[in-house]
Amino acid sequence: MLELLLLAVCAGILISGLLAVCLNNLVAAMVSSGLAGLLASVTFLLLAAPDVAMAEAAIGSGLTTFIFIYALRHAGNGEREP
Amino acid sequence: MAEGIVQVAAVLILGAILLAVTRLVLGPTLIDRVVAIDVLTIVSISLIVLYAHVSGRFVYIDVALVYGLLSFLAVLAIARFLEKGL
Repeated sequence: MLELLLLAVCAGILISGLLAVCLNNLVAAMVSSGLAGLLASVTFLLLAAPDVAMAEAAIGSGLTTFIFIYALRHAGNGEREP
Repeated sequence: MAEGIVQVAAVLILGAILLAVTRLVLGPTLIDRVVAIDVLTIVSISLIVLYAHVSGRFVYIDVALVYGLLSFLAVLAIARFLEKGL
Protein backbone atom coordinates (compact mmCIF):
# COMPACT_ATOMS: atom_id res chain seq x y z
CA MET A 1 0.00 0.00 0.00
CA LEU A 2 2.77 2.43 0.90
CA GLU A 3 4.61 1.56 -2.29
CA LEU A 4 1.46 2.56 -4.18
CA LEU A 5 1.39 5.86 -2.27
CA LEU A 6 5.06 6.42 -3.09
CA LEU A 7 4.30 5.81 -6.77
CA ALA A 8 1.40 8.28 -6.63
CA VAL A 9 3.61 10.93 -5.03
CA CYS A 10 6.34 10.39 -7.63
CA ALA A 11 3.77 10.67 -10.42
CA GLY A 12 2.67 13.94 -8.82
CA ILE A 13 6.27 15.22 -8.94
CA LEU A 14 6.49 14.31 -12.63
CA ILE A 15 3.17 15.95 -13.50
CA SER A 16 3.94 19.14 -11.59
CA GLY A 17 7.37 19.41 -13.20
CA LEU A 18 5.83 19.07 -16.64
CA LEU A 19 3.20 21.67 -15.76
CA ALA A 20 5.87 24.07 -14.48
CA VAL A 21 7.56 23.89 -17.87
CA CYS A 22 4.45 23.92 -20.06
CA LEU A 23 2.13 26.46 -18.44
CA ASN A 24 1.89 29.92 -19.94
CA ASN A 25 0.81 31.77 -16.81
CA LEU A 26 3.92 32.51 -14.73
CA VAL A 27 2.21 32.40 -11.34
CA ALA A 28 0.65 29.02 -12.16
CA ALA A 29 4.09 27.75 -13.17
CA MET A 30 5.41 28.94 -9.79
CA VAL A 31 2.61 27.09 -8.00
CA SER A 32 3.49 23.92 -9.89
CA SER A 33 7.17 24.31 -9.07
CA GLY A 34 6.34 24.74 -5.39
CA LEU A 35 4.22 21.61 -5.58
CA ALA A 36 7.19 19.70 -7.00
CA GLY A 37 9.26 20.72 -3.96
CA LEU A 38 6.45 19.79 -1.58
CA LEU A 39 5.98 16.32 -3.03
CA ALA A 40 9.76 15.81 -3.20
CA SER A 41 9.83 16.47 0.53
CA VAL A 42 7.17 13.79 1.09
CA THR A 43 9.23 11.41 -1.03
CA PHE A 44 12.33 12.10 1.08
CA LEU A 45 10.32 11.27 4.17
CA LEU A 46 8.95 8.05 2.71
CA LEU A 47 12.54 7.06 1.84
CA ALA A 48 13.49 7.49 5.54
CA ALA A 49 15.33 10.84 5.52
CA PRO A 50 13.30 13.10 7.85
CA ASP A 51 15.94 15.82 8.28
CA VAL A 52 16.30 16.31 4.52
CA ALA A 53 12.51 16.36 4.29
CA MET A 54 12.32 19.08 6.93
CA ALA A 55 14.89 21.28 5.15
CA GLU A 56 13.17 20.74 1.80
CA ALA A 57 9.78 21.62 3.30
CA ALA A 58 11.14 24.83 4.79
CA ILE A 59 13.20 26.03 1.83
CA GLY A 60 11.90 24.32 -1.29
CA SER A 61 8.21 24.68 -0.70
CA GLY A 62 7.79 27.85 1.35
CA LEU A 63 10.69 30.19 0.76
CA THR A 64 11.22 29.55 -2.95
CA THR A 65 7.63 30.39 -3.91
CA PHE A 66 7.72 33.49 -1.73
CA ILE A 67 10.96 34.73 -3.35
CA PHE A 68 9.63 33.95 -6.85
CA ILE A 69 6.47 35.95 -6.17
CA TYR A 70 8.49 38.83 -4.76
CA ALA A 71 10.78 38.85 -7.81
CA LEU A 72 7.82 38.69 -10.20
CA ARG A 73 6.19 41.59 -8.41
CA HIS A 74 9.32 43.70 -8.90
CA ALA A 75 10.10 42.58 -12.45
CA GLY A 76 6.70 43.18 -14.02
CA ASN A 77 4.37 40.50 -15.29
CA GLY A 78 6.90 38.65 -17.41
CA GLU A 79 6.00 40.43 -20.61
CA ARG A 80 8.83 41.42 -22.84
CA GLU A 81 9.41 45.03 -23.77
CA PRO A 82 8.58 45.54 -27.46
CA MET B 1 -9.40 -3.53 13.17
CA ALA B 2 -6.57 -1.00 13.38
CA GLU B 3 -5.02 -2.40 10.22
CA GLY B 4 -8.33 -1.93 8.44
CA ILE B 5 -8.52 1.68 9.56
CA VAL B 6 -4.98 2.33 8.32
CA GLN B 7 -5.76 0.79 4.95
CA VAL B 8 -8.95 2.80 4.57
CA ALA B 9 -6.99 5.97 5.41
CA ALA B 10 -4.33 5.08 2.83
CA VAL B 11 -6.98 4.56 0.15
CA LEU B 12 -8.63 7.88 1.04
CA ILE B 13 -5.28 9.70 0.87
CA LEU B 14 -4.53 8.10 -2.49
CA GLY B 15 -7.90 9.19 -3.86
CA ALA B 16 -7.44 12.71 -2.54
CA ILE B 17 -4.01 12.98 -4.17
CA LEU B 18 -5.41 11.80 -7.50
CA LEU B 19 -8.39 14.18 -7.39
CA ALA B 20 -6.28 17.19 -6.39
CA VAL B 21 -3.68 16.49 -9.09
CA THR B 22 -6.52 16.21 -11.61
CA ARG B 23 -7.81 19.61 -10.57
CA LEU B 24 -4.26 20.98 -10.77
CA VAL B 25 -3.85 19.75 -14.33
CA LEU B 26 -7.34 20.65 -15.60
CA GLY B 27 -7.93 23.82 -13.58
CA PRO B 28 -8.89 26.60 -15.96
CA THR B 29 -8.05 29.49 -13.66
CA LEU B 30 -5.16 30.21 -11.31
CA ILE B 31 -7.43 30.09 -8.26
CA ASP B 32 -8.27 26.43 -8.94
CA ARG B 33 -4.59 25.55 -9.01
CA VAL B 34 -3.85 27.45 -5.80
CA VAL B 35 -6.70 25.67 -4.00
CA ALA B 36 -5.47 22.34 -5.42
CA ILE B 37 -1.97 22.93 -4.05
CA ASP B 38 -3.44 23.85 -0.65
CA VAL B 39 -5.43 20.60 -0.60
CA LEU B 40 -2.30 18.68 -1.59
CA THR B 41 -0.40 20.26 1.31
CA ILE B 42 -2.98 19.12 3.84
CA VAL B 43 -3.11 15.66 2.27
CA SER B 44 0.69 15.47 2.45
CA ILE B 45 0.62 16.30 6.17
CA SER B 46 -1.89 13.53 6.79
CA LEU B 47 0.21 11.15 4.69
CA ILE B 48 3.28 11.96 6.79
CA VAL B 49 1.41 11.32 10.04
CA LEU B 50 -0.02 8.05 8.68
CA TYR B 51 3.45 6.92 7.67
CA ALA B 52 4.80 7.83 11.12
CA HIS B 53 2.14 5.59 12.63
CA VAL B 54 2.72 2.71 10.23
CA SER B 55 6.51 2.71 10.44
CA GLY B 56 6.54 3.33 14.20
CA ARG B 57 9.07 6.18 14.00
CA PHE B 58 7.57 9.13 15.77
CA VAL B 59 10.39 11.46 14.70
CA TYR B 60 8.42 11.87 11.49
CA ILE B 61 5.65 13.74 13.31
CA ASP B 62 8.13 16.63 13.78
CA VAL B 63 8.37 16.89 10.00
CA ALA B 64 4.58 17.10 9.79
CA LEU B 65 4.68 19.84 12.42
CA VAL B 66 7.23 21.93 10.49
CA TYR B 67 5.22 21.31 7.36
CA GLY B 68 2.02 22.55 8.93
CA LEU B 69 3.75 25.64 10.28
CA LEU B 70 5.28 26.61 6.94
CA SER B 71 2.86 25.39 4.32
CA PHE B 72 0.51 28.35 4.47
CA LEU B 73 3.30 30.71 3.41
CA ALA B 74 3.20 30.03 -0.34
CA VAL B 75 -0.59 30.25 -0.55
CA LEU B 76 -0.54 33.46 1.46
CA ALA B 77 2.11 34.99 -0.81
CA ILE B 78 0.13 34.08 -3.94
CA ALA B 79 -3.09 35.45 -2.46
CA ARG B 80 -1.39 38.73 -1.58
CA PHE B 81 0.08 38.86 -5.08
CA LEU B 82 -3.31 38.35 -6.71
CA GLU B 83 -4.73 41.23 -4.69
CA LYS B 84 -1.76 43.41 -5.75
CA GLY B 85 -0.73 43.84 -2.15
CA LEU B 86 2.72 42.29 -1.85
